[in-house]
Amino acid sequence: MHEPLHWLILFLPLLAAMVITLFLQRYPRCSAALSVGAVLASFLLSVGVLAEFLDGRAPDIALTWLQVGSLQIQFGLHFDALSALMLLVVTGVGSVIHIYSVGYMRGDPHYARFFAEMSLFTFSMLGIVVSNNFFQMFVFWELVGLSSYLLIGFWYQRPSAADAAKKAFLTNRLGDVGFLIGIVLAWAVTGTLSFAGMKDQLLRDPTLFNTTATVVGLLIFCGAVGKSAQFPLHVWLPDAMEGPTPVSALIHAATMVAAGVYMLCRVFFIFTHHDLLVIAWIGGITALLSALIAVQQDDIKRILAYSTLSQLGYMVMAVGFSAPPAAMFHLTTHAFFKALLFLGAGSVIHALSQEQNIWQMGRLRSKMPLTYWTFLAGTLALCGLWPLSGAFSKDAILAAAWEHNKALFALGELVAFLTTFYMFRLFFVVFLGKPKSDLVGHAHESPRIMTYPLVFLAAASVVGGFMGITQFITPQFSPASARLPIFAPLEPFETSPVAALLGLAAIAIGFVAAYVYYAGAESDPLPGKMKEVCNVLRHKFYFDEFYAGLVDVCQDKPARAINLCDIGLKLLVRLTHGTAEWTGRVLRLVQTGNLQTYTLLLAAGAALVLYFMLTR
Amino acid sequence: MSPLTIIFLLPLLTALVLALIPRNFRFSIRGLALLAGLVSMLIAVHAFCKFDGQASPSGFRFEERHAWAPGAGISYHVGADGLNLGLILMGAVVLFAALCVSWRIHTREKEYYILLLLMGGGILGAFASLDLFFFYILHELALVPAFILIGVWGVGKDKNYAAYQITLYLSLGALLVLAGLLAVYLQMPGASRTFDIVELTRYFSAHPMQSGAEHWIFPLLLIGFGILVSLYPFHTWAPLGYGTAPTGAAMIHAGVLKKFGLYGLLRIALPLMPDEAQRWALIIAALGLGNVVLCGAVAMRQRELNMLLGNSSVAHVGFAFLGIASMSLIGFTGAVVVMVAHGFLAALNYALSGYLREELKTLDMDQMGGLLSRLPFIGTVMIMAMMAACGLPGFAGFFGETLVFFGSWHRSEVVTVLAIWGALIVAGVYMLRAIRSIWHGDKQWPGLSDVTNPWRRLPYGLLLAALLVFGCFPRLLTDNIKASVTPVARLMGEEIAGGGSVLKVYGLNSFSPRHPVEDNASGAAVPGGPHR
Repeated sequence: MHEPLHWLILFLPLLAAMVITLFLQRYPRCSAALSVGAVLASFLLSVGVLAEFLDGRAPDIALTWLQVGSLQIQFGLHFDALSALMLLVVTGVGSVIHIYSVGYMRGDPHYARFFAEMSLFTFSMLGIVVSNNFFQMFVFWELVGLSSYLLIGFWYQRPSAADAAKKAFLTNRLGDVGFLIGIVLAWAVTGTLSFAGMKDQLLRDPTLFNTTATVVGLLIFCGAVGKSAQFPLHVWLPDAMEGPTPVSALIHAATMVAAGVYMLCRVFFIFTHHDLLVIAWIGGITALLSALIAVQQDDIKRILAYSTLSQLGYMVMAVGFSAPPAAMFHLTTHAFFKALLFLGAGSVIHALSQEQNIWQMGRLRSKMPLTYWTFLAGTLALCGLWPLSGAFSKDAILAAAWEHNKALFALGELVAFLTTFYMFRLFFVVFLGKPKSDLVGHAHESPRIMTYPLVFLAAASVVGGFMGITQFITPQFSPASARLPIFAPLEPFETSPVAALLGLAAIAIGFVAAYVYYAGAESDPLPGKMKEVCNVLRHKFYFDEFYAGLVDVCQDKPARAINLCDIGLKLLVRLTHGTAEWTGRVLRLVQTGNLQTYTLLLAAGAALVLYFMLTR
Repeated sequence: MSPLTIIFLLPLLTALVLALIPRNFRFSIRGLALLAGLVSMLIAVHAFCKFDGQASPSGFRFEERHAWAPGAGISYHVGADGLNLGLILMGAVVLFAALCVSWRIHTREKEYYILLLLMGGGILGAFASLDLFFFYILHELALVPAFILIGVWGVGKDKNYAAYQITLYLSLGALLVLAGLLAVYLQMPGASRTFDIVELTRYFSAHPMQSGAEHWIFPLLLIGFGILVSLYPFHTWAPLGYGTAPTGAAMIHAGVLKKFGLYGLLRIALPLMPDEAQRWALIIAALGLGNVVLCGAVAMRQRELNMLLGNSSVAHVGFAFLGIASMSLIGFTGAVVVMVAHGFLAALNYALSGYLREELKTLDMDQMGGLLSRLPFIGTVMIMAMMAACGLPGFAGFFGETLVFFGSWHRSEVVTVLAIWGALIVAGVYMLRAIRSIWHGDKQWPGLSDVTNPWRRLPYGLLLAALLVFGCFPRLLTDNIKASVTPVARLMGEEIAGGGSVLKVYGLNSFSPRHPVEDNASGAAVPGGPHR
């Protein structure tokens, strides 16, 4: 491929976004076609890059964006196994979701704006993927935050959507503060911002960062905590479900939230073992907390959102176990089945006139057979049932956990059980049992432009484990490792039988539990049995309330005090003004215009002068 | 004739011509004013594109010099280098945009346009001047119209107080600057006294000021220039003044006039008194942080849009102060980028809020909401402008601010961390809250009209385009800026390779740095402390 074609991968979506915004606002069909065309073209070009990479001819392109003194900032395209895989995930899953949106968003008055913002997102996300240095990554990191903000707030007339957008942006910003400080600190020590340069320096001198080594790693990790919605900054992701469902699928499930994991893999060289321990535990805590919350949610999209959080926790945990290939593997398969689940949920919501409460659904199996079967495939893949894709990627993570940290391994198995439980709770209530509202009667299968993407993603979710993703990505992180066989269906059971078998047991228990409680249930039986626990879970462990108080104490109260000081300062200025004016008024009293007064004052003055002169 | 002369003289002369036109020729008055602004802007753009710092032996391009009062050492001397080139371009664009958005002014149009042109031309001249006399006088010329513009065309019940406050405050600042500049002038031996900035710089780099004098001259200039730029705690004039000013005046004042003090610090105070500047660095940084964090917090509490924008504008100049306080090449470059970017941004924000004020008759954010569906163009542009104000990449301010962060890290980590907090969180909070309460929501607004005429959209588009172009291609600015601030950074003891012929200006080619080169560790350990 020629060099300009590589640039096109990145800039085609941006071009589409610009053209739609400037010229095509009133032409919904054209803008949809342009946006879909751009992401499809990027996908084809990414396949070209993959072919080049397999030939060993992938180029490294870099321009100087800015150069001042010792600070050099590049704008580059970096292609290796990691970025090639991520390019394919983003543009591949992205293409499918773009096509789905053509049907899902039909009739929306802001159809063109939707596609412009989707294209802007694709551009920003691809920018993160191909970055060859920290600064460029941070730039696109922020742009991704912006496009997420715009898309969550797509229906800005809804107060809840507008609030959710604001919350998402600001929570991400909190993580970005740490990320930026980490970048500046890393630059100050190494004098370079490029990944390759920094890695070389660290290889040459592992003690380069000296005492700040752990701090740098943790600061950089802050960025991932924000973007990938890890504990304690996880609160924005469930609210982000206010956006249109394709947005939830693309941005808040498959790609953007995975950017944090991608970044951790990209800069893996910078982390010390202390950092990795923290990363593993943060991932584990996130996985467990959100799986617990998911058990007691009633909104179909929110259940999936908490499930996403929990799976992201798995991936972050995998990075913490020094297993970036497992993290990337799970990222890829998760992109397939979580996008599938969201699009399936979208299909259900579409059929039920925007109803999202699962207790208003039921027996959709007969009404929407394609959605039903694909959703089942997605659910099983998410639970990790062998031989679907999720089984391989999740087992890779659990196997790493078994090696590194038994406590986190137990936690991981618990999460696997919870995952199966809440997913089948959702599945039984929505697709089986009795219809729980009149809406179900009017439901019908979605149009083909929406079901074909489901089928495609279902196929990917089923066979994703056999695509050779680990085999492709592992050499980048451990070049010395033996070449793995491409097709190995029994591999999990051979390498780590304990993890694989316990995983299967967790699925079985989860399934049985869900069946007992929810097959044929009219309403949720759990709150009746464990009132207190369910209450806490329904309130999401009171994080939102706690943060609202924290923001009030740490931000709004001080701001009020500072504002009062400012008002005091203004009053001080007014006081000067007042004093001058008052003095003027007093002195004016002397200027009466009356000749007698002047004479009197003259005489008084003369007397005074004489007095002083004569008494001295 | 130098293009710089045309750029600032054209608006001034047009103001004179307008004075001769009868007031009922309203179309001609506005047309002529717009034409002058347009030509001035086009020449500025042309000069910006043609600029090449390496091409001229002195480092200053478009130089023009005529003796004017040789006895006093005053000459007419203009020239552009990386430091003022971007500011002149920004000023010319903002002036044209300010003239464009003034179409709603119907009372005393003639006087309005005369004053606006005087203000714009004056400040452009001050930026172009390389002679202290014209530098100062032309700035004063720009200050006076602001008083009349706010007093006559201002809005709100506080406008009289605001007009007096802004004028007295700025006159005080200007007075301190005048005292400082005269003191600098008198520091030279009698025979060779000159007001020429280039000569002054050359002289004082070879003969450092006697220690006693610079101890009080530098603070004079710092506080004087600081008041002009609304340095904390001398900032309270700014939000109220801008809030009540007519749109065009607010744009030029907040966008262009306010940069004069920063420019003065970088052009005069720092190069002439580098040692003293180093001693004051920590105080400048602390006050700059006051702008960034404290005024940012004040902005969070505002419910009136113009007061929010005013405090936000005050907060943003804090980044320029932090850049200056870093006393490093990267920081200086960042400061100048912030100055240019903020000029475009403040002008754009005030242009938009002015439109809202005309349409809604109020700027109380509690009464707004849901305006985006009614005003898609104005709303989209303003959301972009507000995003630019919270440091989003793609807009020029982002590079300025990040350069400041990179530059000031070696000076003080704490300052940098607080500045990053101010840029990403504080600014993010008040701007996103504002977007939420103005544009988002479901309130209905029958009867409002958006800007649909492409000509009326031009000023907004122009300012936004400038922000985007410099935000995507920062080298357009930084390559020139860094060449011009390199000598200043060298005076601060920084070792910088290369630099080109610009150094000749300051006579430093044959001149070795006065400070021993320090390593970063000791530089960070005593931020702003005495360096000898």
